Amino acid sequence: MERTKSWTPGRVLGTALVTLFALLCVLPLIYMVAISFTDSESLYIKLSDLRPNLSNYVYAITKRNFGTALKNSVITVVGSCLLVDVVSSMAAYGFEKKPVPGKEALFQGYLATMMIPGQVILIPMFLMMNRMHLTNTYAALILPMIGAFAILLMRQFMVAVPNELLEAAEIDGCGELRRFVTIVLPLVQPALITLTIFTFNSTWNNFLWPLIINTRSEMAVLPVTMSTLASNSTTNYGMVMAGATLTFLFPFVLYIFLQKQFVEGIALGGVKG
Amino acid sequence: MTTAVTRRRASKRTRREALIGAAYIAPSFVLMFIFTVIPIFLCIYYSFTKYDMTAAPEWIGFDNYVKLAANKYLGLTLTNTLQYVLITVPLQTILALLIAAFIAGSLRNRFGSFLRSVIFIPVIASLIASAAVWNVMYEPKGGLINQFLGLFGADPINFLGKKTTAMPSVAAVAIWKNTGYYMVMYYAGIMNVPADIQEAAIVDGASPWQRFRYITLPILKPITYMVVTMGIIGSFQVFDLVYKMTGGGPARATLTVAFMIYNYAIKDKRMGYACALAVGLLIVILLIHGIQNLFFREKEDA
Repeated sequence: MERTKSWTPGRVLGTALVTLFALLCVLPLIYMVAISFTDSESLYIKLSDLRPNLSNYVYAITKRNFGTALKNSVITVVGSCLLVDVVSSMAAYGFEKKPVPGKEALFQGYLATMMIPGQVILIPMFLMMNRMHLTNTYAALILPMIGAFAILLMRQFMVAVPNELLEAAEIDGCGELRRFVTIVLPLVQPALITLTIFTFNSTWNNFLWPLIINTRSEMAVLPVTMSTLASNSTTNYGMVMAGATLTFLFPFVLYIFLQKQFVEGIALGGVKG
Repeated sequence: MTTAVTRRRASKRTRREALIGAAYIAPSFVLMFIFTVIPIFLCIYYSFTKYDMTAAPEWIGFDNYVKLAANKYLGLTLTNTLQYVLITVPLQTILALLIAAFIAGSLRNRFGSFLRSVIFIPVIASLIASAAVWNVMYEPKGGLINQFLGLFGADPINFLGKKTTAMPSVAAVAIWKNTGYYMVMYYAGIMNVPADIQEAAIVDGASPWQRFRYITLPILKPITYMVVTMGIIGSFQVFDLVYKMTGGGPARATLTVAFMIYNYAIKDKRMGYACALAVGLLIVILLIHGIQNLFFREKEDA
């Protein structure tokens, strides 16, 4: 079937509107980067102010704790991704490939937790962590990151792992754990990449939980440090925007290189959910 | 004899497999139990207590709920939250759907896929960084939006400082940030629509609008259901944007339920009271979800 390629008025108008929306999507971020390079306290930027000037970045990193926050964010993100990957791929394998009695009921229970607003869990978890003396630790930031969505995502991919392959390997004398590590995990690798990116993004941008559980500034993650920076210096726009740019930079670079995987998890959530 | 042995061997094998399976599921179960299930029940328990973290929780029955019902800001907070939900959810859903449908239908080329990539970018930005950027955008003195409006001779608007504009301005940031996410979901859904259905409709002389209205839209219904559900649950919990952009002001015009919970729990250390409010939020979300299910089912019957 030949697709119409002609530029009808409707198509021109639609293209213009969608392009305009796309521009609005990136304009604030371009503005953010532009202001982060100026040292003026005014927002009326002239092109002459926009010379490569890293003083805001240097100041944010050396004087305003951004170096520490960056380190904390990286540790938290790496820990969370490892935990979520391991725990949810194991769970998905158990749910999909093993005859565990009552597993479907348990799985439905997992899914039901996705309806619970975070605030319901937040306060008791805060009190529990306090009692366990886990405040101001990385564990407090990492352990609660496992959620039903990760297990659901992995299970959807686990369906495609052929049972025959696992049975054949078993007959060949391949042990249980070795089958999981050498056959299952490589087969679900694309899903693991998608899940890792998903976990990276949600952990990196997590704000409320780190804000209340890690109150010492040397244990703060980027968004939290970012938020104190903005409220302490309302007029120094350049420095605040440098902080915002630093917070945005890592997910953005990852997005540039792994765009497809970024989008995949979300697309899947819609199509299969 | 032999069949009995095989059967016994088979059942032994099944039991072994079940145990191994349970072992695989166990870590997720432990974590989900400790960090999700226990807190849910604790939240309900605390909501019937007075607890300020210095002494043990003291059982006070329904006192928190009674006090909450009499709280003079509760009505305003609920209205604010509802206003935010009613601005963000319909607009982000419709925008996402229209953009996805247009790109899939008329712009299925490199430029279209470039636009999709660009529209997704705000999704990856943290809400706090987004809030900081939009604070600057909204600045009455020299913010980009007011500079733009100034070109037409308009007086600067204090978007976040006026009671009438504060909440819509915060909601606009959420729409800016969320549309790309739902657009991706819709786009994937449209790509799943069998091409021959569309082609048959074209042969039958259906206009693009008719094809959208009578083919694409009904097929996308499960996705719309997901988008609306996720949108409602997410919007009811709005915190980061309010915290960073307005702090609940001006004059409590952007005070939302989640922000109120934070204030009572973390600022005032009234844990029981905050938990009662959280339980209330859960009930409201479940109620609205129930209404939404009814609505979606009814339309299916029609």
